[in-house]
Amino acid sequence: MKSALPWYALLLPLVSAGAITLFTRRLKTLSSLISVAAVLGSFVCSCLIFGQKGLSAPELKWIDFGTVFTVPFGFVLDDLSRMMLVLVSGIGALIHIYSLGYMRDDEGKSRYFAALSLFMFAMLGIVLANNFVMLFIFWELVAFTSYVLIGHWFERDAAADAANKAFFTNRIGDFGFMLGILLVWMSTRSVVFADIAPRLSILTSHPAFLTIAALLIFCGAVGKSAQFPLHVWLPDAMEGPTPISALIHAATMVAAGVYMLVRVGFIIQASPSALLVIAWIGTISALLAALIATQQSDIKRILAYSTISQLGYMMIAVGLASNEAAIFHLFTHAFFKALLFLGAGSIIIMLRHEQNIWKMGGLARHLPITFLTFVVGALALIGFPLFSGFFSKDTILALAYDHNMPIFVVALFTAFLTAFYILRLVVVVFFAKPRSDAARASDESPLVMTGPLIVLALLAWLGGYGFFARHFLAIPHEKELLLIVPVLAITAMILGAGLAIALYRNRTSEPIEVDLLRRLFYIDEFYRWLLDWTQELLASISAFFDRWIIDAGAVRGVSGGTWGIGALLRLIQMGNLQAYAFLFGLGIVALIYFAVFR
Amino acid sequence: MLLFIVFCPIVAAILIMAGAPARKTALLASGSTFVMTLLAFALFERWQGGFQHVSSFTISADWRLNFAVGLDGLSLIMVLLAAIVTLAAVWFTGEIDKYENAFYACLLLISGGAIGAFASLDLFFFYAFHELALIPTFLLIGIWGSGNRSAAAWKITIYLALGSFVLLIGLILLYQSVPVASRSFDIRALQAAAVEGQIGPEAQRHIYLLLLIGFGVLVSLFPFHTWAPEAYASAPAPAAMLHAGVLKKFGLYGLLRLAIPLLPDGARHWTGLLIVLLLGNIIYIGLVTIAQKRLDWMLGYSSVMHMGYIFLGIASANILGVTGAAVLIFAHGLSIALLFGLAGEIRKRTGTLVFDELGGLAKVMPFAGLAFGLAAFATVGLPGFANFAAEIMIFFGAFQNGWEMERFHVFQIATVLGLWGVVISAVYMLRAYRKAFMGTLGERWSSLVDVRRSLRVPVTLLVGALLWFGFFPQTFVRIVAPAFRTYFSANAQP
Amino acid sequence: MVTLGHYLIVSGILFAIGFAGVMLRRSLIIIFMSLELMLNAANLSLVAFSRFHVQPSGVPDYNAQVFVFFIITVGAAEVAVGLAIIVALFRARQTTHVEDINTLKF
Repeated sequence: MKSALPWYALLLPLVSAGAITLFTRRLKTLSSLISVAAVLGSFVCSCLIFGQKGLSAPELKWIDFGTVFTVPFGFVLDDLSRMMLVLVSGIGALIHIYSLGYMRDDEGKSRYFAALSLFMFAMLGIVLANNFVMLFIFWELVAFTSYVLIGHWFERDAAADAANKAFFTNRIGDFGFMLGILLVWMSTRSVVFADIAPRLSILTSHPAFLTIAALLIFCGAVGKSAQFPLHVWLPDAMEGPTPISALIHAATMVAAGVYMLVRVGFIIQASPSALLVIAWIGTISALLAALIATQQSDIKRILAYSTISQLGYMMIAVGLASNEAAIFHLFTHAFFKALLFLGAGSIIIMLRHEQNIWKMGGLARHLPITFLTFVVGALALIGFPLFSGFFSKDTILALAYDHNMPIFVVALFTAFLTAFYILRLVVVVFFAKPRSDAARASDESPLVMTGPLIVLALLAWLGGYGFFARHFLAIPHEKELLLIVPVLAITAMILGAGLAIALYRNRTSEPIEVDLLRRLFYIDEFYRWLLDWTQELLASISAFFDRWIIDAGAVRGVSGGTWGIGALLRLIQMGNLQAYAFLFGLGIVALIYFAVFR
Repeated sequence: MLLFIVFCPIVAAILIMAGAPARKTALLASGSTFVMTLLAFALFERWQGGFQHVSSFTISADWRLNFAVGLDGLSLIMVLLAAIVTLAAVWFTGEIDKYENAFYACLLLISGGAIGAFASLDLFFFYAFHELALIPTFLLIGIWGSGNRSAAAWKITIYLALGSFVLLIGLILLYQSVPVASRSFDIRALQAAAVEGQIGPEAQRHIYLLLLIGFGVLVSLFPFHTWAPEAYASAPAPAAMLHAGVLKKFGLYGLLRLAIPLLPDGARHWTGLLIVLLLGNIIYIGLVTIAQKRLDWMLGYSSVMHMGYIFLGIASANILGVTGAAVLIFAHGLSIALLFGLAGEIRKRTGTLVFDELGGLAKVMPFAGLAFGLAAFATVGLPGFANFAAEIMIFFGAFQNGWEMERFHVFQIATVLGLWGVVISAVYMLRAYRKAFMGTLGERWSSLVDVRRSLRVPVTLLVGALLWFGFFPQTFVRIVAPAFRTYFSANAQP
Repeated sequence: MVTLGHYLIVSGILFAIGFAGVMLRRSLIIIFMSLELMLNAANLSLVAFSRFHVQPSGVPDYNAQVFVFFIITVGAAEVAVGLAIIVALFRARQTTHVEDINTLKF
């Protein structure tokens, strides 16, 4: 049955962004309300769409060259998209409401909400896209809005640099992604997912080619989902306002990488080598990020590295060919990570933009609702039984146990680390005595901010349950959860949590310092060094070559040559009458010779 | 109607030199040209090849020399580009301290020359109109420029004159390559002759090389590009807008109109050379752009770099790539014009364009910051802008040539490197934006004023056109693609 | 017997002397005189050819001799113009030294 609902859901935020940019830039409160109204509208449409199966929407031809190359603008409305629609617009709506409080006194409020609406448009587009090019379009738009929002406070050098870093890293991933798309298109002659799937046999008959294409497509996900080695942008992206960190860099945009891999799973899963690579990159990212998180003192950075780590888990699930597990964890992670970030935002605002955990402390008493909801989120993150994270994480661990023991071991160790770093955060921030004046003077946040916290806390708690989740998600219930996996997981969790509590109780400063982890394994320095010695060096050499060899050499050479020839020829003008006469005579002789004797 | 579009700027230039009020006449003329061009665009029949709106006057029947103008899909979008950028350039012109009349007259002559060249159906006038535009460029840079202006003016004029000379030889040879009976200056007749195969392959190779080098110099193809950065850095902003946005595209138009359709054997023969050169444009010049320390030089090199993509589309010689090239010509012209215009405004306000001296300007010049940001992202190929749609067509078009599943041919490698160029352009463009507009505001700039309000109109016009054709590229495809259908198969070359 | 060759050799010597004078002398007047000498050398050889080329009817070929008259006339006109130029030059430069007249030198 055809319906225009998907178009409404997609376009409402775009209209809002356009309206704010063109008309209501001065009227900041109105801008924020327009944006919230638009996203609520999208949410309502998404819920309506969710309720109806077998929906389809009219298509638009974006580029049409007939059989050679056609890019339609169409929607895919299967179970996965409809669930993602509700998730994205729902969490988006919560964060819009939260932003009303967080950004209340901000100078650039209109700009913020316009970019936020544009982001919703782009993210919904990713979820709805039915072909590679359309997906790529929205993929890049999401990176663009992320750039604008990370650099929201652009007078800060750190924010400006972080925005650039995010966009570049994404671009590098997009380079690989586009190459993958080109390879798939050339072999199957279509970019539309529904057309490629039946033609997959062309690809599978060339396994090496298929693996390369799959890995290139994965590049895009590596960039977008901040996996190793393109993870470096996500921690720096914390320069943006906290609601943005919650929405874009925890719940939705970074999850787009996982979503994309699931959407084109039929290509990825046809190549076992690609799957292996994906799983291992996920594992490495998970471990690396968890290690780094144990030593960070900025509350948002800890959560950022936690996001990278959890996305690693999702990649493991993708790599082990279980799309359902990946999406399940994506959903639960969206709930509890957004919750954690919004809770952090609540703390940051109430402590007047303090982000160092060692300047916090004792906040359980000062910010009770934030504390309770944050703890719910933390418990979900570490996989405490009964919370949503327990179900989704254990599904992934069970998969690893079944298919790939080394990955299971590393993932289990990472679970241990996860419990460690998050409990460290909870203990240092919420318990003991306040360590700064800002902490002492803090108070609970207004309802507009605690409201979403409570909603998310409920989702983070209940989101994993069978009865609740089966309604939403396709849970991999085919395999029984072996008893050993949950037992091991819970053991790891208790060990990690216990260690954290023991180490960090009643401390006023960091007791252990592991430089390697504090300095993020020096990866940023390495990239800087690499760039300096490749790109910058090549650029300088090229500039020199251009200025001095092509320009001064060839071009000025030509003009200099002309000058030189002129200077030579002018020597003939001797000014001497007799010389002229002589040359005249010589000319005549030559003429007679050539005329008469040749 | 087309005659009006072609002659309006030239007549206006003459009127201005004769004493009419300079700015008003110029605005009126460019505005009416723009409106008429929109009308022509709206009345254009889609999905039809061939020329429309044709007018023709015989000048010499013996030589078959006519003054003929007409539009097909390709020339329509070129004229549209010229009309939009002319209006923007005239609007962007600020206070001129000396010879104001001559300034506007030169701008209009450049515009008239470009539009005439695009609309010409006759080889003779095609060349003549372009030459008309060379001298005003020289005057604009030499008299009203900044920095090392007289050296830059001499350099660009002599360099482009040399290129035109090579081009002229090529055109004459082209004229003579057709058997005497069907010789004509008329482009349509030449096209008919080419389709029948009357131009021999040997001749095609030589002529194509000459045309490639001649047009290439005019378009700053590597290695004939060094005139561009210095000239654009020294030129006054409106002149840079017109030249980089419109006049430079004359060479690309010539290749698309003459070299590729009439000389397919020649084109095929020299494809390898063209690919090497265009990769020089994309990668080498891209790297050079990264190393630049001044905004005007960076923009100059950037415009050279993006020509590489258009050449990639041309080299692919199939309908997808060539249509993409045409759309990118349009999109790039608009975006670079906007960038140069805004750079000129910044220079006017701050007196400097060195990156290390600027910073944080978006705080005091929010509109300029927004406009420059949009233009920068358009150039970088952000979806939503026409540049992206064009680049998609070019990359997909180029990638499909010579495809074999297990091996990579030169076109695939070229496409990969071209894609890397997209990353390079993001690096330098965003770095420039960050250095100039973001970050801490220097104390010297804390009292700056934003660009004047009337500039919102041309900026909106340019950004709006980029967004419109970025959202709906099919509007262009159904106009431009039919123009090429006769010459290119939809499929790739073997 | 005085043959055609003798006359031509004399003419050649005269021409060479005139040419050397044009090339090597420094005074404009002397250069002019040498120029006239060259002209007359040509006249001499023309008359010699006329005298020694007898047509079958026994009459010498007078075409060359008529040509000589032309040359003499043209020479006279040329001398008039040339001397006028020298006079003007002298008035401007106060010198007839050919090496001093070199303003067209690079």
